[in-house]
Amino acid sequence: MTIHSTPPEHESRRKFIKGLSIILGGTVASGLLTGNAYAVAMTYSPTQSHSTAGKIFTVEQLKLLEYVCAIVIPKTATLGAAEVDTHGFIDSQLYHCHSKQTQNKIMALLTDIDEMALSAHSAAFIKLSYDQQFSLLTKLDIGDKPFSQAQRTDFKSLKQLICFGYYTSEVGASQELRFDAIPGGFKGSIPYSKDQASWGSNALFY
Amino acid sequence: MTESIYINHSKEVYDAIVIGSGISGGWAAKEFCERGYKTLMIERGKVVEHRKDYIGENKAPWQQKHRTKVDNLLIEQRYKIQQQCYAFNDATKHFFGNDRDLPYATKEGTNFSWIRANQLGGKSILWHRQSYRLGEFDFTANKLDGYGNDWPIRTKDIDSWYSHVEKHAGISGAKENLPNLPDSEFLPAFEMTSPEKHIQKKLAQAYPDRPMVMGRAAHLTEPSALHVSQGRVQCQARNECQAGCSFGAYFSTQSSTLPAAAATNNLHIAPNSVVHSLIYDEKTNRVKGVKVIDNDDLTEREYFANVVFVCASTIGSTQILMNTTSKKFPNGIGNSSGVLGHYLMDHNYNAGASGYVEGFEDEYYSGRRPTSPYIPNFYYKPDSKRKFLRGYALSGYIQRENWQSNYSQDGLGVDYKNKLRQAGKWKFGLGAQGEMLPRFENQMRLHPTLKDKWGIPQIEFDCRFSQNETDMMDDAAEQAELMLKAAGLTGINKYVTRGAPGLAIHELGTARMGRDPKTSFLNGFNQSHDIPNLFVTDGSSFCSSAVQNPSLTFMALTARAVDYCTNEMKAKRI
Repeated sequence: MTIHSTPPEHESRRKFIKGLSIILGGTVASGLLTGNAYAVAMTYSPTQSHSTAGKIFTVEQLKLLEYVCAIVIPKTATLGAAEVDTHGFIDSQLYHCHSKQTQNKIMALLTDIDEMALSAHSAAFIKLSYDQQFSLLTKLDIGDKPFSQAQRTDFKSLKQLICFGYYTSEVGASQELRFDAIPGGFKGSIPYSKDQASWGSNALFY
Repeated sequence: MTESIYINHSKEVYDAIVIGSGISGGWAAKEFCERGYKTLMIERGKVVEHRKDYIGENKAPWQQKHRTKVDNLLIEQRYKIQQQCYAFNDATKHFFGNDRDLPYATKEGTNFSWIRANQLGGKSILWHRQSYRLGEFDFTANKLDGYGNDWPIRTKDIDSWYSHVEKHAGISGAKENLPNLPDSEFLPAFEMTSPEKHIQKKLAQAYPDRPMVMGRAAHLTEPSALHVSQGRVQCQARNECQAGCSFGAYFSTQSSTLPAAAATNNLHIAPNSVVHSLIYDEKTNRVKGVKVIDNDDLTEREYFANVVFVCASTIGSTQILMNTTSKKFPNGIGNSSGVLGHYLMDHNYNAGASGYVEGFEDEYYSGRRPTSPYIPNFYYKPDSKRKFLRGYALSGYIQRENWQSNYSQDGLGVDYKNKLRQAGKWKFGLGAQGEMLPRFENQMRLHPTLKDKWGIPQIEFDCRFSQNETDMMDDAAEQAELMLKAAGLTGINKYVTRGAPGLAIHELGTARMGRDPKTSFLNGFNQSHDIPNLFVTDGSSFCSSAVQNPSLTFMALTARAVDYCTNEMKAKRI
């Protein structure tokens, strides 16, 4: 299987962003650029690929899902969904904690994504450029042609799984968000500004 | 606590047997032990040691295989009914009963969700800790509208016992001097967030007769010297209570009553002992003890005592009483009235409304408050113009939305991730907690043929909400919506559902108190009208459900009953 490699110009841009991030802090650096520019610089390099089939997904499906995870929640100042193996988690979670119906729905959606990539660009989804991947999933996300509203709804379910997997991971809950295992007491009012993360610690209620 | 307090076989005749180790059983044992009586607490399930056996406690989601969720196969095999409980998850599942071993039936066309917690501590580990006194309007409700029998007690009979249990258990809340909800002995109340204070103010203007107070909860906001001496410390606001709390910061048998009882050296506990029936001596008209089946190897054994307190939960207690038959009591011990098993009640949580509070975007909260605002029942006075009898409380909840509610918004990539990182809008809601009328036809009975693995007849439920409860929920949704509007909320959504009884997990009635032995099972001291040394002090003794969470009343009734019983023992009447 061919891995989509990052072009050299992206490499240099990534270093630039990294440098900026160190000086200004990740959030400020990303704010200086448009989301897309930043994201292009962060085109996903597979780090968590599976060499064997999962509980319900094949190696190929896991790879596709890995790239979808990377587009939905990319690496920024913190790791993204793909880097923390959200795709592997989704495979396990679907198998253990969701209905057969949901499993089949997600499975079919992955097939649809790949088929759409083939018909639009004559290549598998993982071989498309970042921009092509982003644009295809955006169409799916807003139900734009050629995707149906039903496919859009299924994609929202997949986003829910990705969010659940990411924000309950150690990186998602405690680095991207704020995790307070033992708060020590309750304060009804503390100052908050939009550059601060929300609480990632939700007790038993995820 | 040492291992030696656990017994298996014993020929000793104890002063008292207490069946059950939950909120009621724990209190009965403590009160007997502290008065110097040798007490045997019988628990059908396994031992749960404070701290050591809280195996799900303080685990981050990523430290749990399915990130707090429970495997489908396990649910299918063991927890099909239990999983309906809001508190059922990977960190708490071991404190719920195994449905496969605990079958029950429901009459065709009815449904009942029976949540079980069969271990030392019972549901005191899993409870929601909301703690409210019943007031004079509650104790007189049946009498005033003629529905159900009159409670044989009033606030003057029970208030000192509320105070007694509150000081020991530790109840947080604020003094409000409300006519419909008496104050308790309080530890400081939890704080409100700014949007809650804002709503409270707006509601006070629009609905002066519907004050919003902070929910009163059995949490140590500021532990007293007594609490510290019990090994309990301040609540850390984790809100993971049902996994067990090593800080002992909420009231449970393990954190509060058991250490007190064990400290007297008068307590023994027989775990893994499923009570089959009581041993009744027709000649003396006394119960002599209990027959139990071993939870694991199904062998039979007996325990003996001078008095028996049945504190096995509403359904559990009545099941034992019904399964104890004799020539004199062919339909259940002490059941000369015929009311045993009848007047089953729960609370009705089938309505509410929620919406958004605009503004307050530069404020957040810190910690996870284990309680929430509460609007006491504002229909506490009978009113013939209302479409239904009785009323409901409204329980509030608030949070700033997060990824859990905002994942479905359009967007991908960095923008999406950055949006989900932020705290979202303030969402506030009100949920109804409605009173359920005591109706003779709502009942539990022993199934004529089906038995469980211990050879005990299964329970068959025949219980449903009536038109009164349905009408009440319609009203609750409407009023909640109006109140949220008056408080200035936007995007308001109201809901009415038609869920069956059971899931409020406030089973009440089935062995009710009363003045008249012909129409009630227990007298005003939770003592059997028919058999002087038999007491039932849990929720089965209730004459009406009121709207309040009932556990604090279980505690007070139990402590009061032990006081009465020991006085009767001293006077040689028992």
